[in-house]
Amino acid sequence: MTLAVAATVGALFALGTFLLLRDDLVKVVWGLAIISQAANVYLIGMGGIVEGTSETVPVLATHHAPFPETVDPVVQALVLTAIVISFGMTAFALTLSYRAYQENESINVTEWKQ
Amino acid sequence: MEPQLWVLTVAIGLPFVAAVLTPLFYRVVGERVGYLGAAVATVSFGLVLTQVGTEGTVATPWIPSHDVALRFHVDGLALLFALLASGIGVLIFAYATTYMHGMPDLGRFYMALLAFMGSILGVAFAADLLVLFLFWELTSVTSFILIGYHTEDASSQYSARMAMIITVGGGLCLLVGLLVLAVAAELAGVGAFNLAAILENAETIRAVLEANGLFVPALVLVTIAAAAKSAQVPLYFWLPGAMVAPTPVSAFLHSATMVKVGVYALGRVRPLFHGPEWMFLVATLGMLTMTVGAILAVLASDIKELLAYSTASHLGLMIAGFGFQTHYGPEAGAFHLFNHALFKAALFLVAGIIAHEAGSRQIDELGGLWRALPVTAAITAVATLSMAGIPPFSGFYSKEILFEAAWETAQAGGGLAWLYPATAVFASIFTVLYSLRFLWLFLGEKPEELGTVHRAPFTLFAPPAVLAVGVAFVSLLPDVAIGFLVDDAASAAALEPVAIDAKIPTHLSGPVAMSLVTIGVGFAAFPYYTEIRSILARLHGATRRTHPVTVYNGLLGATDRASAAISTHVHTGQIRTYVWWLLASACALTVAGYASTVTGLPTPTSAETPVAMILVLGVAVFAAIAVTVAESHVTGVLTLGILGFMVAIFYILASGPDLALTQLVVETLLLLIFLLVIEELPAFYRELEWGKVLRDAALSVFVGATAFVSVLYAAPAEDRGLTETASEYVDTAVPEGGGTNIVNVILTDFRAFDTLGESIVIVIAALSVLVLVTMRDRGETQ
Repeated sequence: MTLAVAATVGALFALGTFLLLRDDLVKVVWGLAIISQAANVYLIGMGGIVEGTSETVPVLATHHAPFPETVDPVVQALVLTAIVISFGMTAFALTLSYRAYQENESINVTEWKQ
Repeated sequence: MEPQLWVLTVAIGLPFVAAVLTPLFYRVVGERVGYLGAAVATVSFGLVLTQVGTEGTVATPWIPSHDVALRFHVDGLALLFALLASGIGVLIFAYATTYMHGMPDLGRFYMALLAFMGSILGVAFAADLLVLFLFWELTSVTSFILIGYHTEDASSQYSARMAMIITVGGGLCLLVGLLVLAVAAELAGVGAFNLAAILENAETIRAVLEANGLFVPALVLVTIAAAAKSAQVPLYFWLPGAMVAPTPVSAFLHSATMVKVGVYALGRVRPLFHGPEWMFLVATLGMLTMTVGAILAVLASDIKELLAYSTASHLGLMIAGFGFQTHYGPEAGAFHLFNHALFKAALFLVAGIIAHEAGSRQIDELGGLWRALPVTAAITAVATLSMAGIPPFSGFYSKEILFEAAWETAQAGGGLAWLYPATAVFASIFTVLYSLRFLWLFLGEKPEELGTVHRAPFTLFAPPAVLAVGVAFVSLLPDVAIGFLVDDAASAAALEPVAIDAKIPTHLSGPVAMSLVTIGVGFAAFPYYTEIRSILARLHGATRRTHPVTVYNGLLGATDRASAAISTHVHTGQIRTYVWWLLASACALTVAGYASTVTGLPTPTSAETPVAMILVLGVAVFAAIAVTVAESHVTGVLTLGILGFMVAIFYILASGPDLALTQLVVETLLLLIFLLVIEELPAFYRELEWGKVLRDAALSVFVGATAFVSVLYAAPAEDRGLTETASEYVDTAVPEGGGTNIVNVILTDFRAFDTLGESIVIVIAALSVLVLVTMRDRGETQ
């Protein structure tokens, strides 16, 4: 299972990096978005991936101990935060690109006035 | 008797408190704020004075888990140093109120001066390695501010930067040296940062240092730090540069106190490092500086420059004193520390008077000043004769003890050790020469070109007069000063019993003969001063390429050029350049880390991957590829959406329903925002440059491979179970959080503050978006 996740994370990081290096500003933002996704999957991978069943989901069915062995809830809390933050970041980066286009009249970053 | 903690804390803390308040007072009372400084210095002086006769260590915990404490140790050496700093401080503040009259930025000036005084008192009493380092660096920083007082002046900037680089560079050596000591102390079972305990258990620490081969490194590091601070060869050149500072600063920092921090520190650690290596390094360094400083002082053309080189030379004398192994060594070091502070501070103040009243600092333009400045002339006579070491003035006694130390060392060592007394005499001849030259400014005929010399106001000559009276007092009754403090100071640095014997010799011995030669040759050569100077100037010019300051400028220029060259490559203003360097270096460091710590590639676990998950992840990767090769922005955004939704499904499969929900909401919103923005942006057409694409692809593969390997290394073993933190949350979610959804409980209860921070981030992002979108139309630009 780890191998599949590792391959995905590696591929997403590679493609995201490639996009970050483009001259088209929109593609740079896409690169950021893809790298955020990859990082989130990476974090989930670090908590150990268990195929979802009603037992493993970190939502308890019982109010009393002993509690069942769920998947790691800490990484999920982290990733939940990360998803929301990366949403804010991507939205901001997009608007910034829009404003940069207005100021420079081009979305090609190499054509900007220094 | 035990010292009192509150007295020391107030004495050290008060200058800092006053420093913070000074700018406020300056607004109210103007430049009279200098008197506040004098008052603070008087209070500190008085408080330190009450501790005379006490000895011991007092502490208040600071970081108890690491045994770091605000720890002060009081003994003769600390008291001597602190009394000099605060006592001369009083005079300097009084002098500065007149001298700095009408100058700008006096609030900042007095603030830095007060903070400096507090730091120097801190260095004097600090008995904790970290506290010592802190105060040590504070003296460098305040010195930087004071040297750079004329902020607009290029030479002032250059000199301040030079002093900063040298002394802070030395400070870094000190830090490493102190950490080595701390490690040794911890190994020896003595509190790691407790300097007082380290010195008490010097033998044990020394054994630990030697067993681990750290003795010489620690010794060398501490010596470099002291040499940088105390202007020893080859790091002396910042001191003459520091003379661009106003004269009160030169008198206070760069003659009496800050430059003695290095000497003081060596005196402090002498009991720990004492031995043949110590003597070879420290005594030789001191002797060398004594000679070089004295020769350069003879060469100087400016009176403050002369005094600066002379200071370096005398600091060399003290360091050599502490370097010698015989009991005469620390006696000479401590006694000269005291004498030098008195006469050199007086001479700097005299130099200020000359500059102020005669309008020139050039040695060749000055002469016959005694008619206009009779009191100043008397002060100068006492101070210069003491500096030259002419009996019966105070400088003679301490220099005579140094001669005894050198003589005894030579007799014990034989052979090359005779170079010590020979060098001491050679250097001292030059000392006599430049001292007489300085005195000659007041004697002889007044040159025609020199305009009217004004009389000095009382407030200018009173402070040096007090110091001169001090010199005269020590000259007449040396035993009183010795008995009061200097004996205790010397014994703090010595292992042997100490008994300073200061009197005019009555019968001939080796050291006495050394003094006779010094004074005789000095006086005999003085008529040929100009000739000696021109010979020295020729030698000096011929060796210019090897001067430390030339090396310094060369290194500085090379660093400048190198950083300019690097920045044209790294700092281009193009996103791709930054991404390139950042990712390439981050990945290279990561891979280097793996290569150096992990053996072999990670083996992926064998658990089977469900087909659904392979399918979802595969679609996600294909979507990402589609995004990368997308022709138009719209197709790219839509395929980016597919990637996001696939990741959401992956979360469902990987037991994270909350993540999937959030991801779905976020993806939907993002898709909308993307489409809204893209509608406003033009299409992008550009021919592909294959060279660029290949290079970028190479970096991408490198980054991807690093990420791939990192996931494999970081993934937990499948049968590991939950971490301690995770199972704690699982077990307490219901009883303490009152909810069965553990992720929710973590976010809203256990780590609610983090979630609040996250919400603030989103709010800031939203506000920024709003500003970016709306403010342009309101005419923010153009």
